[in-house]
Amino acid sequence: MKTYPANYPIVQVRGLKKLFPVGGGRKLHAIDGVDFDLQPGRTLALVGESGSGKSTVARCIVRLLEPTDGDVVVHGNSVRPLNPVRMATMYRTLQMVFQDPNASLNPRMTVRKVLEEPLKLHLSMTQDERNARLSELVTLVGLGEEHLARYPHELSGGQRQRIGIARAISINPEVVLLDEPTASLDVSVRGQILDLLKRIQRELNLAYLFISHDLQVVRHVADEVAVMYLGQIVERGPTAEIFDNPRHPYTRALMSAAPVARYGVKRERLRLAGEISTPVDPPPACRLSGRCPIEQPVCSQQRMPLEPINETHSVACPFSDRVAEAVAPPVPAAKAG
Amino acid sequence: MSDAILEIENFSGGFMSPAGEYNQVLHDVGYCLPRGAMTAVVGETGSGKSITALAVLGLQAPTFRHRTGSIRFDGTEMLNLDARGLRDIRGSRISMVFQDARAALNPVFSIGRQLADTWMLHNGGSRAAAMDKAVDALRQVHIPEPERRARQYPHEFSGGMAQRAMIAMAALICTPELLILDEPTTGLDVTTQADIMELIVDLAQSRGLTVCLITHDLGVVAETCDHVVVMNKGCVVETGTTEQIFTAPQDAYTRKLLAASLLTEYSA
Amino acid sequence: MTSRPIDIESAAVVAPPRRRPRRRHSLTMKLGAGLLLFYAGVAVLSFFWTPHDPFMPGAGPSYSAPTWEFPLGTDRLGTDLLSRLMVGTRYDLGICLAAVAIALTIGTILGTIAGYYGGAIDTAIMRMVEIFQAFPGLLFAMLIVQAVGAGVVNVIAVLSFVGMPDYLRLARAEVRSRREWQFAEAARLVGNRPIAVAFKHLLPNSMGPLLAFTSVNAAFSVLIIASLGFLGIGLSPDDPEWGNMIARGQDGVMTGEWWVSMFPGIAILGMTGAFYMLGDALSDLFDPRRRT
Repeated sequence: MKTYPANYPIVQVRGLKKLFPVGGGRKLHAIDGVDFDLQPGRTLALVGESGSGKSTVARCIVRLLEPTDGDVVVHGNSVRPLNPVRMATMYRTLQMVFQDPNASLNPRMTVRKVLEEPLKLHLSMTQDERNARLSELVTLVGLGEEHLARYPHELSGGQRQRIGIARAISINPEVVLLDEPTASLDVSVRGQILDLLKRIQRELNLAYLFISHDLQVVRHVADEVAVMYLGQIVERGPTAEIFDNPRHPYTRALMSAAPVARYGVKRERLRLAGEISTPVDPPPACRLSGRCPIEQPVCSQQRMPLEPINETHSVACPFSDRVAEAVAPPVPAAKAG
Repeated sequence: MSDAILEIENFSGGFMSPAGEYNQVLHDVGYCLPRGAMTAVVGETGSGKSITALAVLGLQAPTFRHRTGSIRFDGTEMLNLDARGLRDIRGSRISMVFQDARAALNPVFSIGRQLADTWMLHNGGSRAAAMDKAVDALRQVHIPEPERRARQYPHEFSGGMAQRAMIAMAALICTPELLILDEPTTGLDVTTQADIMELIVDLAQSRGLTVCLITHDLGVVAETCDHVVVMNKGCVVETGTTEQIFTAPQDAYTRKLLAASLLTEYSA
Repeated sequence: MTSRPIDIESAAVVAPPRRRPRRRHSLTMKLGAGLLLFYAGVAVLSFFWTPHDPFMPGAGPSYSAPTWEFPLGTDRLGTDLLSRLMVGTRYDLGICLAAVAIALTIGTILGTIAGYYGGAIDTAIMRMVEIFQAFPGLLFAMLIVQAVGAGVVNVIAVLSFVGMPDYLRLARAEVRSRREWQFAEAARLVGNRPIAVAFKHLLPNSMGPLLAFTSVNAAFSVLIIASLGFLGIGLSPDDPEWGNMIARGQDGVMTGEWWVSMFPGIAILGMTGAFYMLGDALSDLFDPRRRT
């Protein structure tokens, strides 16, 4: 377990942008200026619906995608000028767990080969040391040595994701990006994987970026939550505050739509008008304008930056005081988009 | 339970492997759907919840073999019906909505045309009248600008909009007594998911539909359904009203599933 | 390729176990493979033993019909046809296999590079391929053989050149379709260089269709070898290549000495048929829908 100074950010993401050309000179703004830090032992959850750009953020950090602008700084050094070979060394620090454990494991490699590969590429170990490390790893993720000889298709979904996690932590990284790690798992397995991730984080003092659309899960694992909408972070703060007192209209709409498996819980939904607008060449306006129940004229005239409302909580909405009013009488269903 | 529109009793079946081995996957499944109510069939991957529902409509995979049991729809034994008899019931009396609406729609015809064709299949009449009916159905499922949207093709619809169109087709164009929804909101965003569920509840109530919601998501069930059937590994483990299942679950698996859904058991 | 045990636990409930229905293909597969083994056996045998000297004219009478001594008869010069046919197997099978192996290797490597890197590299490679493929295969082969001259090595080179673009396209398409797959991304993330991702992770998962195609390509190659031989531009006219042999027997067909052309023809038919049968069975086996 590595130790760090207090509040030390291992990864700093600054002004990250990713634009995809969509033809005709137009650009799809997948990520449009995103900033955050990742600290050891802490989990930042990136929450959003499809099209919010949350997975693109992770891919830009590890440079599976090249960011258009902005910077990713790891231990004070920018990763952007690194060539592929130097970037490969950066993956000793920066690792990722993918959403679909079926697709992220090479179907032709046994578990042993999957886990051996990073060890061989990054560490000079003897075969005995590697074997010892392999059995340590499978034990750490709750599997046995008998699983080493298996192929991915011989494992259950949960077991595959455990291997995905073991691969990510095999070379002792400091930061792990988790891209929807439980989205393709059954609920009963979901809890076990979350449990495992938390335990590993404690034992190895890892920094997590947890990308998810599952609010239940986020509430369970995150220390801090950043809510993304159309490529921007619209609200960020401690988990409890985001869930109990969401201040951005979008956050509130999202929270109020999440189903709860309890009998007799009636949601008071905040509804947004229409459908998500296009991320292609968005106008310089609040991204929610046109859908927002508390919209003001100024909202469609300028971008709304993320402003702190207290020490830890920031919102990209100057009218966040009024958001509670918007919920009160539910809008008639006929108007729901 | 006296007035059930669909009764499944001791239904057992399995798949034939290409090698000719029989693997039983459903073990004496039995549940009924009370008329006019919303019943959820809940289970995880491999619980057999979808296979059972597909068997109701005779849509099971060709390798599926049913061994015992009966499926009675409004007194008719579905398992004895021939292809023609099934066709008469499918669509007009029972219709079904699948998970991936965009895949279930034909990509080469406009949405309006597909709805109109279905209407004409069941009701005849002129194309113009059918098209009006299609636009009207799209309006009723809250698709904005239904006239314009009816001329669009499935790829121009978002997942949520396509699912609305499917619901318009299954519940409004076909006018069934029983609507079976197989994971209708899985893969959709939470806000869209909530909107779709509200739409389903509205339609069911205003039209007196019997709804069977097949899902893995207990959160969706708690708010919307009247009865719950819990399935695990090809068996029905518990049935009851939503209140009973959520507040006083009897079966160990039900309790485990509930805890897992709320992530309570695993709080570290 | 590798046969994989099935995941009993999860497959049992979800769906019928996905076992490859090998039995259905076994007949074509066995027939094709058996026939090829027979040809290979004959080719090997011909190094040690033939009934007569295949190159010696006058081993028997001119144009002898099949007899016990000359089971397939003799040609105009009185050479034993069976012996020539046996030695000819070496040419047709050997040239074909060598050409296929070279085309597969080069095509796969270039295709993988083009598919994985894309961009300018891809464009350059693909333009080159398009130029090759603008000519029909046989015509192209004839042109090059005329230019570089006859000989076994040249024919092999030409044939691999003609076959290579197809492998390249296949490999490129396979790799391209998987480039964005998560396991390729995951392979980058564990520290592999891009080239290692392409060849260590993507290529092994793309080999199925490529290997299935080798049979089709081999069958096609046999036909081209024979065609070149028939036209007398591939090998020396004295080489007992099957196409050559058919050409030699042409005159006889009209005058009743049918066997001189007939038996080499049957040999060619059998070999292409064997490759096609094998290819058919293989492509079924590697059907993407059956890949897990």
